[in-house]
Amino acid sequence: MSAEVEETLKRIQTHKGVIGTIVVNAEGNTTLITSTKVDYAGLLHQLTMKARSTVRDLDPQNDLTFLRIRSKKHEIMVAPDKEYLLIVIQNPSE
Amino acid sequence: MKRLECDSSTVACCAWVARVLVIVSALRGPAVSLKVCSAFRRGPLKLGMAKITHVDFPPKETVSYTKETQTPVTTQQKEGENSEPMLEIQMEKPDQKEEEEEAPPQELTEEEKLQILHSSEFITFFDHSTRIVERALSQHVDVFFDYSGREMEEKEGEIQAGAKLFLNRQFVDERWSKHRVVTCLDWSPQYPELLVASYNNNEEAPHEPDGVALVWNMKYKKNTPEYVFHCQSAVMSAAFARFHPNLVVGGTYSGQIVLWDNRSNKRTPVQRTPLSAAAHTHPVYCVNVVGTQNAHNLISISTDGKMCSWSLDMLSQPQDSLELVFKQSKAVAVTSMSFPLGDVNNFVVGSEDGSVYMACRHGSKAGISEMFEGHHGPITGIDCHTATGPVDFSHLFVTSSFDWTVKLWSTKNNKPLYSFEDNSDYVYDVMWSPTHPALFACVDGVGHLDLWNLNNDTEVPTASTTVEGNPALNRVRWAHSGKEIAVGDSDGQILVYDVGEVSGLKCLGMWTSFLWKCTPI
Repeated sequence: MSAEVEETLKRIQTHKGVIGTIVVNAEGNTTLITSTKVDYAGLLHQLTMKARSTVRDLDPQNDLTFLRIRSKKHEIMVAPDKEYLLIVIQNPSE
Repeated sequence: MKRLECDSSTVACCAWVARVLVIVSALRGPAVSLKVCSAFRRGPLKLGMAKITHVDFPPKETVSYTKETQTPVTTQQKEGENSEPMLEIQMEKPDQKEEEEEAPPQELTEEEKLQILHSSEFITFFDHSTRIVERALSQHVDVFFDYSGREMEEKEGEIQAGAKLFLNRQFVDERWSKHRVVTCLDWSPQYPELLVASYNNNEEAPHEPDGVALVWNMKYKKNTPEYVFHCQSAVMSAAFARFHPNLVVGGTYSGQIVLWDNRSNKRTPVQRTPLSAAAHTHPVYCVNVVGTQNAHNLISISTDGKMCSWSLDMLSQPQDSLELVFKQSKAVAVTSMSFPLGDVNNFVVGSEDGSVYMACRHGSKAGISEMFEGHHGPITGIDCHTATGPVDFSHLFVTSSFDWTVKLWSTKNNKPLYSFEDNSDYVYDVMWSPTHPALFACVDGVGHLDLWNLNNDTEVPTASTTVEGNPALNRVRWAHSGKEIAVGDSDGQILVYDVGEVSGLKCLGMWTSFLWKCTPI
């Protein structure tokens, strides 16, 4: 991996409260980067696709730009793109 | 006929067999009993070859259909489409099995993964998304706060009552700005929350690039720079290119002028001026974009007195160059420069010998025209009055110097109008407020940031604050709104202060009172 990608990745992973960082491809079948043991990739990919289709169904000119799920214990942030998906899980109370 | 010689056990055995036979014959019929009986009468058993036929029955295949192979995941099936003829389904099954193999679940080889990770689309995506996620990570909006149940914690960082300067943000980066001196600061004209800071070399890390420029973002709470740029030589001055929102210009110690672009993924400059005698060969302490949208130039001055004007599209050679010499003899060692508001031809420069010179770029008398003497040490900062209002003060400028003073001058007068002598160390930089006509800020080498309001008092600063640790403060820059001041110190730290409501910011009185202040001196 190139040095800048590594550096940025390390910066995010060592950010306060971050539990995991995952990069998945658009189809949801290949995980390129993962730092957690739990498999968030498949489940979150499906949810992101559903969210995206919901946004587009409501308005075809619109598109999903960011997805943030706040639960009691964690906050999951998904930054979707045409070809990849960046997922970061954070524990905000830490 | 031979007789069987039996012993007792055989007799018992025979008796048992006979009994079994009776039962078996009752069930199966006479054929069995006949054979066994004959075997006992005739003697030893005769063995012979028997023909064997081997029959293999394959296990019964239970044909089952699972949803995954039958219906594709992405498209939504209409109700009517589910009733496909059975033959078609059977044909599709082998095809879909192949498709599944082509897209293996999470089993790409390491090489293929690395290849993807190095591809440029991935890098673009990663750069873009990590930027957004980092901002989101630092943003903590707690919508669940319960005012009734929980005890309110003490507020952190109580605002000092009465003081007019409040520390808002601190920007320092462990890797890129620590152990470097902040050499220049500039606020973006396009996006008022962006601030570029240039740094010189890090003596403790000789393998890191010598020159660094970081773009910091005031809007979000994240404490890492928005953009990181670096180059091979220490950056002595930096500025946002005024009519090109994506470009950052830097003047370096080697005399090169570098251009960074935030549209490219690279952190190194996209354009550089050549290291030749046509350009600069001495450190460039001043870079500035002057002009209008359609006619603008990048002006740079190096410490050997050479002034070059460049076009941002072509940095391979300067459009124009001028040697700043005073009275045809000695070249002026320029440390700082400033253009008055609206003027693209005349400008003032401060030099190492303690004098201020006025010069012009074009015309028959291009070059230095006047000298202003007054300071006893090298001039560190110079700034022309830029606040626009009912009265024109554009002939006024302030200078700061190693001689512990800040002086107020007018271009119409060779001697300083006023000298501010409240500091007890080298004054490193001074700048007028962009909104208030009588307000300016200066910083010195023992960590003091002073705010002078000339309508109030010309003997002591109106507001003053000291940075923790007393580092030498190298640069001070007002934000374009006039509400924030950025200060850069010698430890690579940038502090942004909020300026509290200075009295009468909007009234005409402050302009006219300043006018009266200026004339009798």
